[in-house]
Amino acid sequence: MKATGLALGLLCGAAPLAAQGVVIAPHAVFIDARTRSGAVLLYNPNTEPVEVAVSFFFGYPATDSAGRIVVDSIRRPDSTSVSAAAWLQAFPRRLTVPPLERQTIRLLATPPAGLADGEYWARLVISAKGGQLPVTGVADTARVKVGLTLEVRTIIGVYYRKGAVHTGVALSGLRTAVVGDSLALWARVTQQGNAAYIGTAHAVLTDSTGKTFSEMKAPIGVYYTMEPRYALAIGALAPGRYRLRFDLSTGREDLAPELVLPSPPVRDSVEVRVP
Amino acid sequence: MSRLSHAGLLLLGLLVPRRGVPQGVSGSVGIDANVIGQAVTVTTLSNLNFGSVPKGVATTVQPTAAGAGAWQIQGSKNADVSMAFVLPAVLTNIQALPGSTMPISFGATSARWNRATNNVAGATAFNPVAGTTGKLGPPANPFIYLWIGGTVSPAAATKPGVYTGTIIVTIAYL
Repeated sequence: MKATGLALGLLCGAAPLAAQGVVIAPHAVFIDARTRSGAVLLYNPNTEPVEVAVSFFFGYPATDSAGRIVVDSIRRPDSTSVSAAAWLQAFPRRLTVPPLERQTIRLLATPPAGLADGEYWARLVISAKGGQLPVTGVADTARVKVGLTLEVRTIIGVYYRKGAVHTGVALSGLRTAVVGDSLALWARVTQQGNAAYIGTAHAVLTDSTGKTFSEMKAPIGVYYTMEPRYALAIGALAPGRYRLRFDLSTGREDLAPELVLPSPPVRDSVEVRVP
Repeated sequence: MSRLSHAGLLLLGLLVPRRGVPQGVSGSVGIDANVIGQAVTVTTLSNLNFGSVPKGVATTVQPTAAGAGAWQIQGSKNADVSMAFVLPAVLTNIQALPGSTMPISFGATSARWNRATNNVAGATAFNPVAGTTGKLGPPANPFIYLWIGGTVSPAAATKPGVYTGTIIVTIAYL
């Protein structure tokens, strides 16, 4: 009945769809082994209630053959993996966030005894469905009407840290190619230490005088080895020789400094020839 | 302005309802005046609506059409997110007897995404079956906009009524 009302409201079209969504903060949760708990805030800024369901899986960002960053989900992590998905719990797992209200999901870790020092990962899935839409008309049942509702799943990272954790990154294989009005660059980056490398990738294209022609910054998380592809807008760059400087650092503007594991910056550069 | 007061202002902004517009927040979210980090918000702006369709004729809603489904993603500036879909193969008539269904399909250009601006005309097409990766906009507009269309193929003997299903979009913060 509820589904029917929803669909009728959708299809009658007399009432526009109010925006549906939920604010999720933070976008990464760090849990310390001493407290074994964390929290995620949900806020519903809209005028309809939102139904939320929460679950975990093991996965991490990796790159595909084109250098795009995607989340690799591991359905059956083996015993050597650093998965925390099996021993993280969320309370509650299902809830309704009323309009203009906020609710907190508590995360509790119950790791196995004897867990080695290091960082363990999981992904938190927050599924949100909007509330019922108002029925403002009567459907003409002699006709065929079609409409689909949209559900949203948001996935954020959860990091459990035990004991001494340290990170770093190795950089190699920096290369570039002019693609249309952009300069594409690739680099092979490999995580070091026993924690994910959470930082920022930064690239600058300069000429022989040091003048900057293009620059980009992007957050990056390196969990194993990946080869991300980035692009710098270069427009109609004059033919000649340029230099691309690429560096990785652990500064992140979107995370509190105390949550980011420090590590010395790594840099590389390569000459770029524009024909 | 201190970081704490900045967060407080943002939280205050969170608690002020704004009707009739897509809603979300930018920047940090505070709990009891403690900054806990930046937020991510995925807002459904419109459902995918084919309206009335003729029997025996395939009907397509382009991602650029008014009936397309649409989302707004808001998060940290320049951050990468992956966008994937769980798509239905058939829709169910919720008014007729069980078993009344209608095929639905999605093509290589059934979805589009755009960085920073809500402009589907200038958006990048992609195949929703494969998904894609996008980058949130710069500080002034840390958004991704996402649209989806599709094609329904009602048989000539399709029973009248309302056919519906659910599209699930998964946004992963990378």
